[in-house]
Amino acid sequence: MPFLSHGSHRIRYELDGPTDAPAYVLVNGLTQYSELWAAYRDALIAKGFRVATFDLLGQGASAKPELFISQEDQVEALRLLIEALGDGPIFLGGISFGALIALRYAILHGDRLSGLVPMSAFAELSPQLMLLGNALRTALILGGTSYLQDLLLPMNLSDSWLKPLLGKLDAVKRQGWLVNDVYALQNLMESFLEFQPLTPQLASIKTPTMILNGEFDFLTPRSLHETLRIHISDSSLVIIPNAYHAFTLEKATLTADLLARFAEDVMAKRWQGKQAVWIAPDDAGGEMMPFPAGFDHLRAIPVPRTTS
Amino acid sequence: MNQFLGPLDPSGRVPPLQQTRVASFLVSVHGALARQLAFALPGQFKAGWQTELNTQLHRETEIVSLLLRATSWAPDVTTFYNTLIWEMAWMPNPVSGVADHRLATTIDIAALGHAAHGAVRPAALLPVEASADDPFVVALRRIEFESSRLIQAQIHFLKGDDLKPVRDAVSAAVNDRHRQVRKLWTDVLTSIGIDRHADDE
Repeated sequence: MPFLSHGSHRIRYELDGPTDAPAYVLVNGLTQYSELWAAYRDALIAKGFRVATFDLLGQGASAKPELFISQEDQVEALRLLIEALGDGPIFLGGISFGALIALRYAILHGDRLSGLVPMSAFAELSPQLMLLGNALRTALILGGTSYLQDLLLPMNLSDSWLKPLLGKLDAVKRQGWLVNDVYALQNLMESFLEFQPLTPQLASIKTPTMILNGEFDFLTPRSLHETLRIHISDSSLVIIPNAYHAFTLEKATLTADLLARFAEDVMAKRWQGKQAVWIAPDDAGGEMMPFPAGFDHLRAIPVPRTTS
Repeated sequence: MNQFLGPLDPSGRVPPLQQTRVASFLVSVHGALARQLAFALPGQFKAGWQTELNTQLHRETEIVSLLLRATSWAPDVTTFYNTLIWEMAWMPNPVSGVADHRLATTIDIAALGHAAHGAVRPAALLPVEASADDPFVVALRRIEFESSRLIQAQIHFLKGDDLKPVRDAVSAAVNDRHRQVRKLWTDVLTSIGIDRHADDE
């Protein structure tokens, strides 16, 4: 198991795929661990990519600082990992908290990236997100990791994903419960206590950016992704149909395909962000569909877009 | 080396020697915290937060009491030596870099509590097959669950604004206690054939 060093902290990472291939670096969500990207490793390597995954500070097998974990340290850990990948093209994807870290990296080191994929992302804490975050932190404090997982599973995954697993949810939760410690998750959550919105800095991201948002994601709803679309000039927003916040778990085949197609388009110079809004296909390999012209993509019912 | 306690007996119970080693360690560290809290507890509370100390004292005592009754104890030749090592390790060690001796000692108690409640996860040792009716299994789950709530007092105190001026000293003290507790806990687990990272190698 290889580790990077950041000061006295060790960061567990994994590299797979050909060393001379363009690389995808994938950043975990807050309660995740790097093994959850296994399906992406297989799919992206099969399409000719190298894949780098790692546990953030406070997660899994990486160091778990006892009292404080800053988001700046997470970005530095990510920088070290990307530095270790050499000079080839780098595509950076992150989910939720990992998307925030990826955005921070892109703001600071955007020149190093060929492409950026924030998924279930946010650059600021809306009142809803802040209050949900506070409530989830309280859940962790009062009920431990298991109770936090009990809340996150139905919030972030669809009925169709959950239904066949209802009888074995303990098994679904177990690895995440085993590798993540309450105080460390709490430190990750508390890294938001002095959070300042990234929105004013988003315009500095010139990297081609594909923003992915689940159709039914209410933890980080469309409006939070819209902030990214509006401020990142070479971006597109892609809505994943029938998906919730954790669509990277639920729709791994589709999402990995979207990641590969995005990178291939960028490298072939076909990518044109144009701040467009798209609807992803239901299945991998399907056609992307432009969001119907004239309708408001921020609404859940077909309301004509108002010009402002 | 295994990642979990076992092999379990046919009724899903943890072997008595493993129970004894794990329980001895937990009794030692939680007992030490109970003693230190009892010593630190003022006779008359003057501030609201001091009520938490009372809660902590009784929760730590409850953990010790629970383990004494829930464990299937087995004769263990290492008990005396291990207990001596552990009890010496838990001795108060006022944090250097903090002039107020009482505060320096309180930070150390909190640091030890943070490590005992954060770095030691006894329920994570249980294989999925462990019997949910076995008192030792239930006790380990209860201790881990309770620890995640008990640690909140240490987090609140150690990360609080009052200690901002001595934050580096506090962080170093907590880090030292974590290293110490992890080392001793790992030694216990190794002595009963457990390597928490056995699957990661």
